[in-house]
Amino acid sequence: MVAKKRFATPFIIWIIAGTIIPLASIAYYGFTTREGGFTFSNIMAMFQHEHMQALGLSLLLALISTFICLLLAFPMAMILRESKWGKQGFLIFVIILPMWMNFLLRTMAWQVLLERQGVINGLLAAVGLPRQELMNTPGAIVLGMVYDFLPFMILPIYNTVSKIDNHLIEAAYDLGASKSMTYTKVIIPLTVPGIVSGITMVFIPALTTFVISNMLGGGKINLIGNIIEQEFTVNSNWYLGSGLSLVMMVFIIASMLLLQKFDKTGGQNLI
Amino acid sequence: MSELIRLEHIVKSFDDTMVLNGIDLSIAENEFVTLLGPSGCGKTTTLRIIGGFEKPDEGRVWFDGKDITDLPANQRHLNTVFQNYALFPHMTVGENIAFGMRVKHKSEQYIKDKIKYALKLVNLDGFQNRRIDQMSGGQQQRIAMARAIVNEPRVLLLDEPLGALDLKLRQEMQYELVRLKKELGITFLYITHDQEEALTMSDKVVVMNNGYIQQQGTPEEIYDEPVNAFVADFIGDSNILDGQMTAEKVVRIDGVDYPCIDGTEQGFPPRLMVDVVIRPEDIDIVPYGQGQWNGTIISKLFIGVHYEMLVQSEDGKIEWLLQNYDQHDVGEKIGMKVDPENIQIMHKPKSEAESAIELDI
Amino acid sequence: MKKTIGRIYILIIMLFLYLPILTLIVLSFNDAKSMSVWTGFSLHWYEELFQSRLMMGAIVNTFSIAILAALIATVVGTLAVLGMAAMKPRQENVLMAFNNIPMLNADIVTGIALMLFFLMVSWPRGYMSILFAHTTFCIPYVILSVRPRLNKNTDRLFEAALDLGASEKYAFRKIVLPELKPGIMSGFLLSFTMSVDDFIITYFTRGAGINTISTLIYSEVKIGIRPSLFALSTIIFVTALVVLIIVNVRQNRLDKEMARSA
Repeated sequence: MVAKKRFATPFIIWIIAGTIIPLASIAYYGFTTREGGFTFSNIMAMFQHEHMQALGLSLLLALISTFICLLLAFPMAMILRESKWGKQGFLIFVIILPMWMNFLLRTMAWQVLLERQGVINGLLAAVGLPRQELMNTPGAIVLGMVYDFLPFMILPIYNTVSKIDNHLIEAAYDLGASKSMTYTKVIIPLTVPGIVSGITMVFIPALTTFVISNMLGGGKINLIGNIIEQEFTVNSNWYLGSGLSLVMMVFIIASMLLLQKFDKTGGQNLI
Repeated sequence: MSELIRLEHIVKSFDDTMVLNGIDLSIAENEFVTLLGPSGCGKTTTLRIIGGFEKPDEGRVWFDGKDITDLPANQRHLNTVFQNYALFPHMTVGENIAFGMRVKHKSEQYIKDKIKYALKLVNLDGFQNRRIDQMSGGQQQRIAMARAIVNEPRVLLLDEPLGALDLKLRQEMQYELVRLKKELGITFLYITHDQEEALTMSDKVVVMNNGYIQQQGTPEEIYDEPVNAFVADFIGDSNILDGQMTAEKVVRIDGVDYPCIDGTEQGFPPRLMVDVVIRPEDIDIVPYGQGQWNGTIISKLFIGVHYEMLVQSEDGKIEWLLQNYDQHDVGEKIGMKVDPENIQIMHKPKSEAESAIELDI
Repeated sequence: MKKTIGRIYILIIMLFLYLPILTLIVLSFNDAKSMSVWTGFSLHWYEELFQSRLMMGAIVNTFSIAILAALIATVVGTLAVLGMAAMKPRQENVLMAFNNIPMLNADIVTGIALMLFFLMVSWPRGYMSILFAHTTFCIPYVILSVRPRLNKNTDRLFEAALDLGASEKYAFRKIVLPELKPGIMSGFLLSFTMSVDDFIITYFTRGAGINTISTLIYSEVKIGIRPSLFALSTIIFVTALVVLIIVNVRQNRLDKEMARSA
């Protein structure tokens, strides 16, 4: 082939400058005190009560949102597979379209709906019902996460589901499997790669977000993302922020490895 | 016929695996030569070395008296019809055929005429504006031929060009290729693992295995006088039996001494252990007890013109493969008879490599 | 029956996905600033949007950065794919592992890491630092779209071109590049959308005084939502709708052509 190894040089330089050195600097700050000495305290700080609480809450909300997304997306993918609209791409188009809107604006939309002076409360007041405190609750944050990330769950699942050969399903029926057995023994196992990549695409941004919690939690609900962000933007404590980021990174890698165990294709469908 | 291509002791290995173990081969002008062998035998590597896509580790390649071992592929006066054709998917049929001529800056009029001529030659008149993905496998095969021959190569290399076609089309294309070869009057070097293709079309067949040339000769020579068990087995179905020379021109097969036509003069002195090859169609069925061997038919298969039968010998040690036009029933006891000239005596393989019979096709 | 349930389900999901957006669109034409009372049709929030220097600047930044980042990433990524093809599998695997890091890592970590890098090498944070950061996270997408196009088949076509007498350069330009083109195009488009859409990495790598659409929205929302943002939502939504329809119609026409001619 005409290609030479040196064609990859700009890429290698970019990896070094854009990925390796930046990650190394997080590691450097994470293990350093303000005075420049070596320390584990930035790492161990994760075990402080407020940080553990934030991490726990993030984990809980991310798990709930991921689960709801999965619950909503799987039937959707199955319906898309069978509908002729799905094959023509119309429904896929309808699902992709919101993804093209800036996700801050999409999150803002829920703020507009949920606020005390917002649309839903306006409607409630119009029919004479008392206004409800909808914003600044964990529920609002979950709602925002599900809304923002649902398409990222539907698409990978649909991608794998749509590739399942109809003959496989017919074969299952032919061999006497019931509808539910066909689902549990044939369709769902074949969909695992899509489910795994859908979960990664929802769980990681949900776990690490600070935007959704800021906009729909009114700054009153602190997720681990908010804590880290504040260390950098408000407290200017890069050392602590880096330490917490490192722990979070390890956390993400661990959960992804765990997830990969279910996916025998080895994460080929991740994108 | 004068010599056009000569391979001189070609050695090639990939990642410590020997692929070619010293190939010597001569191809004459206007000859139809077929490299035949199972996959992994080295035939494709040989072709790629001639085409200029691989460099041999050792040895030289001569073309028309010149050493072309180090000449890049794009400067060799030969063209290739690739396996799976390698047609350019983003170009039309005409653009594909024109590619080689455009590279050589031929005039557009010349190119136009040539495309027309070539498409006519391969029976695809008027297809020049079609897209490649609109063409069937057989048509793509013809386009690949057309694309190669418009460059007027002196040698056409064909790498399993019929491998992707179904049986009927393959047989049609065999006639087609022989016709093209006659019309063009150029040398064909053909690669296949299909012995029938090789025997039907070639002037010379080169049987390869494990990076060695096992035998070369006319199709008749290869079929009638295989030099070893590998060739015999690869070229058609055969009974390959253990035997021993018991006297001058006498061989013992399955406990029966039997006259044959090979002796000390041919390199088979008495007491030598040998391989004996008997073609299934050369075994005659006679009433039980009247032949040299007796046996019981254990299975029977009707395949078109004749029956194919497996016959188990009396002691159960040998299963004979027979082909016969007459019907006999499973369980029937029969006698078997072979003419002495139909018994092929062969040396037992000397080396590991020679003995390996990998029919992984 | 089953079909009806399916349709109702689709309808519910559609309402969930589109009602919030629809609300923004309706409110963008509301005369009043209120989010719950309709006081009449008006376009003055659009006027406010277009008169905002800040917003216009952010729009220019967003798109110029997206185009430049996508362009650089496409060139670097495509070259990388070609370079890796010449490497031993082990070297290639190592590079691909590093290539995957920015995609698998949480955006917040990538953003913070890049910010610390800019601070360490005292690279002033602003337009160029955002461009560098965006290019960094775009390159992996280019590589992932282009790499599958370069395979055994491309090798064979390249050899076929040489066999027909083409020089290596000519064969590359006429045969290999057209083969890679769909991958290069989709890598570019993917990069472009990822860059336009990004907030978190931009947020950490931008300096004071420079905004993209995302960061501007974020700071405005923090102060208090103005209906001009609804106008912006409407414009973005309609643009996305139009672009996607054009792409879809073209794709459908192409598919039909293929189906007809096959």
